[in-house]
Amino acid sequence: MDLIKSISIAASGLRAESGRMRVIAENLANSDSTSPVPGGDPYRRKVPTFASRFDSDLDAQVVELGRIRRDVAPFRSDYDPGNPSADAKGYVKLPNVNPLVEQMDMREAQRAYEANLNVIGAARRMIARTLDILRG
Amino acid sequence: MAFADMPLVGMLKTRMRWLEARQKVLSENVANAETPGYRQRDLKSLDFKHLVAGGDSTGAVVPMRTNPMHISVGPTDVRFGADRERTFETTPDGNSVVMEDEMMKVAETQQDYQLATMLYGKSLSLLKMAVRRG
Repeated sequence: MDLIKSISIAASGLRAESGRMRVIAENLANSDSTSPVPGGDPYRRKVPTFASRFDSDLDAQVVELGRIRRDVAPFRSDYDPGNPSADAKGYVKLPNVNPLVEQMDMREAQRAYEANLNVIGAARRMIARTLDILRG
Repeated sequence: MAFADMPLVGMLKTRMRWLEARQKVLSENVANAETPGYRQRDLKSLDFKHLVAGGDSTGAVVPMRTNPMHISVGPTDVRFGADRERTFETTPDGNSVVMEDEMMKVAETQQDYQLATMLYGKSLSLLKMAVRRG
């Protein structure tokens, strides 16, 4: 039945968006993680990617979380000679995480999640309508 | 004559099947709303004139009943053609899904489905009224 399939497709969207949320949470949590060794590289921002895959059981394009890439943007740098992670000149490399960007990505993931939930709700109501025929 | 052979009921069934298939396509669109390069799709709308004329709008091959002993075989796996639409917005990554549009269509499909099931129920109760003793 197609309605059950559409619930499964929307569920693939939910899974992908929640995976994206996980990556965003990782980025935000590590937004100040510096290197354990002096002068080393700090945490590098992760970028989730989406890819659509043809599911032959569902006969539809479902979405999947693709490979998680690393952001190549340069690190921030701060003058803090007392910091254990500082290099010889006293500069500390900080992660290339911008909280504002993460915040926006989070909103987007939230909206997409809600949209998929709405689709599931609509499909469920349609199934309920079909069962209502039986009540007569 | 079986209930399912009535033209009205047959039309309602086709309509409901079409709405189900559309809901599936729409859920694909919503799930892939952020996938780079995904193009938005929708179903070709049902041709009402063709339905009224008694044609099978789905284009599926349906076995004929030439003998009353035959078990009637309905189209079990009907496929409706999908259509790529021109949307007013394509993101730089090549995704053409407009979320607002899709949500509208989902709500619309749901309402149409409700209408079809209600009409189905009504035609059932009409039949019941006819067979009830006066």
